[in-house]
Amino acid sequence: MSFLNMFNRGDKEQPSAVTADDRLSLVLSYQRTDIDERKIKMFQARLIELCDDFGYDVVGQVEVIPQARERTTIINASIPVRKKDTVEET
Amino acid sequence: MNHRAVAITVTSGKGGVGKSTTVASLGLGLTQLGYKVCLVDTDIGLRKLDLMLGLENRIVYDLVDVIEGVSNLRQSLVRHKEYPGLALLPAAQTRYKEEVSPNQIIHLIEDLKKEFDYIIIDSPAGIEGGFRNAIVAADRAILVVNPEIPSVRDSDRVIGLLESANLAHIDLIVNRIEPGMVKDGDMLSVERVQNHLAINLLGVIPEDKRIIRSSNTGSPVILDEKSLAGKAYANIAKRIIGEEVPFLELESPTLIKRLKKIFHIA
Repeated sequence: MSFLNMFNRGDKEQPSAVTADDRLSLVLSYQRTDIDERKIKMFQARLIELCDDFGYDVVGQVEVIPQARERTTIINASIPVRKKDTVEET
Repeated sequence: MNHRAVAITVTSGKGGVGKSTTVASLGLGLTQLGYKVCLVDTDIGLRKLDLMLGLENRIVYDLVDVIEGVSNLRQSLVRHKEYPGLALLPAAQTRYKEEVSPNQIIHLIEDLKKEFDYIIIDSPAGIEGGFRNAIVAADRAILVVNPEIPSVRDSDRVIGLLESANLAHIDLIVNRIEPGMVKDGDMLSVERVQNHLAINLLGVIPEDKRIIRSSNTGSPVILDEKSLAGKAYANIAKRIIGEEVPFLELESPTLIKRLKKIFHIA
């Protein structure tokens, strides 16, 4: 069966970032902030709620990416939004 | 007490990054500069410094013997015959790290400070009890890092632990750098490692096959005049005493590199 595995390249684990420097930045920021995937998902959900409160619809994938810069972690959030359509009720 | 005496712990997060090689060469480097230096191997159960210095046949007593009062310091220190200013307090090979407490190490280093100018402590890898013993009496720390992600990540944790132990003076040595690999983007650059860890860069040691030879012969690479790593260690020793020394140019011109390859000169 092993020869079949050579065609099954799609299952290969993707690295968290392309360059070593980006990967290191990500690894350090996760370690320093004690952040994990579950926390990031909760963060994303709260950001979507926040956008809703301020009158925006989230129209795409919300990305939360911690980045290490020197000994500080910067949390970058990318939130594609559109202003909510206001429909007046009659 | 000698007020100049400084205890420096050489540490890392991950094992095998070159701590003992660094301790042996820096110890000799400082001795060559005229200082009295004691190297303390705190890696109980896994001692290496004796081998790095070629002193393995002269060990009678060790660090645990001193702490337990089996021997006194004078009996236990192994003096280097060629460099009398250099002494080694070897780690016990058949004991456990837990048999020594941080307070005992503090008293030991205080005693050593009466006789020596520099006490360089070789720390065990990892962040368990042995690590705490190695940092508890240190005035400053040198963190040895390889330019690879696992080493940098572990070092970042160690910096946090050193800072929480109120050890504020932390310097960085990036060991085993290969300029060609950095140029090709296959290795993290010194600048990126330093930028991520955000501590003072004390030195950069190039990958050097002569280091393997030196640890096998028990002659630290700093004594090898042909070794670029040896020169880099000599410069670090000068920086430790406060001299301003420019960083070495690590990349050789291509033609020389080719000639070296042709003539099999490492």
